[in-house]
Amino acid sequence: MEKIIELKDIVFNYGNLRAIDHINLEIHKGIYGLLGPNGAGKTTLMKIILGFLTPASGNGKVLEHDIRDAHIEVRKKIGYLPETDCLIPGMDGVTLAAYLGELSGMPKQEAIKRAHEVLYYVGLEESRYRKVETYSAGMKQRMKLAAALVHDPELLFLDEPTSGMDPQARKEMLELINDIASKGTMNIIISSHILADVENTCNHVLIMNKGKIISHQEMSSALNQETLNIIELKLRGNIAGFKEKLSAFRIEQDDKGIYRVHLPMDFPSQSLFKTAYETHVQIRHFRKSKVTLEDAFVTAIGESNAH
Amino acid sequence: MPIREKGYYHWEGELKTSYVKWLPIFLTGIKGVYKKRFSKLVCSFFLSYSSIFLFLVFLSSHPAGSFLKKAIAAIQTDKMLFYYYYTYESFLLFFMVIMSIFAGAELISGDLKFKSFTLYLSRPLGRFDYVKGKFSIVLFYLLSLTLGPAIVLIVFKMIFTGSFPVSVRVFLGVIIFPILISLFLASLSIMLSSLSANARLVKVIIFIFYVMSNVIARMFYDIFKSRSFLYISISENAKRFGEFVFGTRSGGFYTEGLISGSILLGLTLIFFAILAIRIKRVEV
Repeated sequence: MEKIIELKDIVFNYGNLRAIDHINLEIHKGIYGLLGPNGAGKTTLMKIILGFLTPASGNGKVLEHDIRDAHIEVRKKIGYLPETDCLIPGMDGVTLAAYLGELSGMPKQEAIKRAHEVLYYVGLEESRYRKVETYSAGMKQRMKLAAALVHDPELLFLDEPTSGMDPQARKEMLELINDIASKGTMNIIISSHILADVENTCNHVLIMNKGKIISHQEMSSALNQETLNIIELKLRGNIAGFKEKLSAFRIEQDDKGIYRVHLPMDFPSQSLFKTAYETHVQIRHFRKSKVTLEDAFVTAIGESNAH
Repeated sequence: MPIREKGYYHWEGELKTSYVKWLPIFLTGIKGVYKKRFSKLVCSFFLSYSSIFLFLVFLSSHPAGSFLKKAIAAIQTDKMLFYYYYTYESFLLFFMVIMSIFAGAELISGDLKFKSFTLYLSRPLGRFDYVKGKFSIVLFYLLSLTLGPAIVLIVFKMIFTGSFPVSVRVFLGVIIFPILISLFLASLSIMLSSLSANARLVKVIIFIFYVMSNVIARMFYDIFKSRSFLYISISENAKRFGEFVFGTRSGGFYTEGLISGSILLGLTLIFFAILAIRIKRVEV
């Protein structure tokens, strides 16, 4: 299978702080979700791949170009949607998209035509002649997506693509990403704190913590983990006492009042009934829960921190 | 069928690899400056000033209309004409400072304020391509409004006299003088623009830098009566450099002109060095 990104033993430091710690990574065609807590090194890793930062040691290739000395070639083939609000004031949507297309090497007329097309595509057709500084947060995200797509890159980096968007706009943004991905010719890496977005969009997941990749697997494997034993419970009675008895385990409650108890694999789930009996609690619903990406994420981070 | 209904589709063209990667920044920047409020007013300063010289050149070739005898006499020689054109009461230099503030102050500070640097650098563009693009915008305006009219003056003089009207030295002076001054002012404004995201502050600092250099130089000169203190003044350095390139004064003044030119060049290089360090350190 064709490698899109190959990193070998990459190290990057911010002064004395090690931001990227001997990362080895191979990314093939597909849509990857990059997850990690704040300060895990996601953005630093993206910046190294984009050539904004030069690693202290290690080497790697992006789309067959060396990350150390072929930044320009790499950036021709990459589209980047940054997390920060970064637009060029004084320009309207079409002018900005066309300008960035030209900077990528598109002929002027082609860039203008393509700018109109991508703005239609992201749903900014009505606002394309408005100055970008007057756009709402959601429109700015769409504008940034249009700018990232204008030169038709081979690899698309989306850093928090749904940040600042209302639920409807977020849904539309994810639909666009899914549509781009469905064509199968563009590879996408999404860094997001919204795990549901990654779960619904990506077919691979990378989890980072403390500058390391701690998990790299297909989404289907991440969601079918046999190492996770999560039980859904609906309780009645002295719930505080029940929770106290199980305080060694992670217990969370959803908005429907259902408790999810994360148990170790060797812990017999039937013993929950014994605990319930001892704490005068009725169990009115008992079911092995479906594993979510959040479960996989929390488990991976927990294990990583424990080591 | 619109792309939205059709879904995402690819662009069939091919990306060019240009040696002048910063050309779109330059072209877009020129349009951007021209579209600004008051751009025509600022340009009109230069054009009015040049028109006066053009008028004097016209009068000098028509003795019947020589009612401005003193002015015409002053510009009778070509070297004096262009020396005065570039340095007379530092008018042109002042207009150039205004233009460098107008065109250059916001160029990088605006990008810092709106974090646009990431947008540029996520394209196949190096940090110095970005700087070249921005720098060339200011340089274009400064040169086209100083060197441009000077060339027009030569052409008109040629039309009025019927022969190539200037010596090689004067011709070189006509080109070299605005190039050095424009490089100096463009590097100053772009360097200061890269140091702050507050464009207003940058504008004020450029203006204060210019005014204070003249005030301080004049103050020290008046106290100590030493011409060396005039090296502090931007306009005095420009004037002395003008004397040097056009050969309007000789002897000790020749050395002064050379030193002034070197000071302006040295400062330009220092501004470039600061700019380079700053741009290298901008986080994306």
